[in-house]
Amino acid sequence: MRDVSFGSYFPSNSFVHKMDARAKILIAIAYMVAVFLVSAFHFLGFAACLLFVILATVVSKVPFLRVLKSVRTIIFFVVFSAILQLFFNKKGTVVFWVITDVGLLNAGFIIARIMLIVLGASLLTLTTSPVELADGIEGLLCPLKWIKFPVHEFALIMSIALRFIPTLIDETDRIIKAQKARGADFESGNIFKRAKALIPVLIPLLISSFRRADELADAMDSRCYAGSKTRTRYKKLRFTFRDLIGVLVVAGLIVGIVYLNGFYALNSLAEIAGAL
Amino acid sequence: MKVVAKNLNFTYSPKTKGLSFRALDNVNVEIKEGEIFGIIGKTGSGKSTFVQHINGLIKVQKGGGALKVGDYDLTDKKCDYKSLRAKVGMMFQYPEHQLFAETVFEDVAFALKNFAKDISAEEIAARVKEALSTVGLDYNEVKDKSPFDLSGGQKRRVAIAGVIVAKPEILVLDEPAAGLDPKGKREFLELLLRLHKDYVKTIIIVSHDMNLVAEYCTRAAVFSGGKIIATGTPKEIFSDKNIIEKSGLDLPLTAALTEKLKSKGIITDSDFTVEDFTEKLIVALKNGGKIR
Repeated sequence: MRDVSFGSYFPSNSFVHKMDARAKILIAIAYMVAVFLVSAFHFLGFAACLLFVILATVVSKVPFLRVLKSVRTIIFFVVFSAILQLFFNKKGTVVFWVITDVGLLNAGFIIARIMLIVLGASLLTLTTSPVELADGIEGLLCPLKWIKFPVHEFALIMSIALRFIPTLIDETDRIIKAQKARGADFESGNIFKRAKALIPVLIPLLISSFRRADELADAMDSRCYAGSKTRTRYKKLRFTFRDLIGVLVVAGLIVGIVYLNGFYALNSLAEIAGAL
Repeated sequence: MKVVAKNLNFTYSPKTKGLSFRALDNVNVEIKEGEIFGIIGKTGSGKSTFVQHINGLIKVQKGGGALKVGDYDLTDKKCDYKSLRAKVGMMFQYPEHQLFAETVFEDVAFALKNFAKDISAEEIAARVKEALSTVGLDYNEVKDKSPFDLSGGQKRRVAIAGVIVAKPEILVLDEPAAGLDPKGKREFLELLLRLHKDYVKTIIIVSHDMNLVAEYCTRAAVFSGGKIIATGTPKEIFSDKNIIEKSGLDLPLTAALTEKLKSKGIITDSDFTVEDFTEKLIVALKNGGKIR
């Protein structure tokens, strides 16, 4: 349970680490848009996205294996979607048994798309500490203050939630052991039995979360925390040349993909015209 | 049931370089039936890892040595952990955090229903009643209450009842007195002695509290860096300056006082229980503060 590598921060002092969290979030979103823009079967677009991730990983000095590990957590999901495409796609000509050529291409397309998105997302969380991430989101949501949306509180809730994930994992471990010692069985029986067996774990976990929330609120109160109004920052987010470079690169990626799409679209138009 | 560990080893994350951590290093120990056995040592010395082996919460690693609890061979793949856990009760720190059921009755009966599937409702009621009265709670008063409505001390009692209701032969307690006030602590330790007299045969206590160990344990093992560096009676352990220094533990109050009074020539020795120590001191004082 301890090896949750998706979303764990990898401390370093690299170019990417030093970038403004707001810019990194925007770049990550733009990158995902780019991945989705790659239209069907034009794998050159995916190659461009992969190149972008590899480049970013090299610059960020995060070991490649560490980034690849994040894919491990969703491998089941990827394989499942690919299998669905393989066996239930009826278009195209049959290559082998029930598998069609369109099915094969679609499966490859889905695998590439999900993997690229997860790689990009995990690179963001690997190079941005949870605190910076929360600050970045707060910064990006700032315009919502105009409609009285509690942006600062929202960001605070998020960073607290992130902070408590490891604590809750430890706690779950302890409670599972305590109930196992009382004969609880989590490993046998059908799915309903197993779900029911989790009640003696979930209820104590819920109660201890409330207790922790209470304690945390007291601790914040005793340090005179009073919300966004009086709060100043130790680390101010600042948009620098690094962020400009990042934004330019990702903009280049999007333009390139749109161009490729247009190029292919024109090509196929020309083909159709030629056939006519 | 005897607990016998021979060359027991355990490494956390053995395959990951940098993260792997050897928690147990050639542990050899024999805990006899009827003992109150103390397991002492600093945080991270391997105490908890060791006791969690005893009821199979942590499984013996391949090539990790031998561990036998009564007739159960824990290195055997076919070991029946469920029936083992019925015989080895385990209580963790802050046991009240494991409460979950709607009523005290349901919570205490949880272990019973898990361990004996075909037990009758009457028998469950009888056993729960017995367990609750053993820990000093009034069955009729608390059985239908929500465990979350009870006071802290009562919650802990309910949690203990939920462990001893299965009538374990060995009871393992991890820091049993943590977070209790002095009165609660005293009452709890008296309860332990009562349990040992007529309920469970062997009690194994993991603790930082040397006073508790000196007072109640028949024998103890000192853990340091995953190794057992000494096994013996509290008297033997706390008299040996080497062990105390190596393990980084405190002396129990009685041992420290005995040491001081010995150097001043007021008493000769004591076995470090409060009763024996005060007796020796009274005799010394009656003789005008000098060794007779």
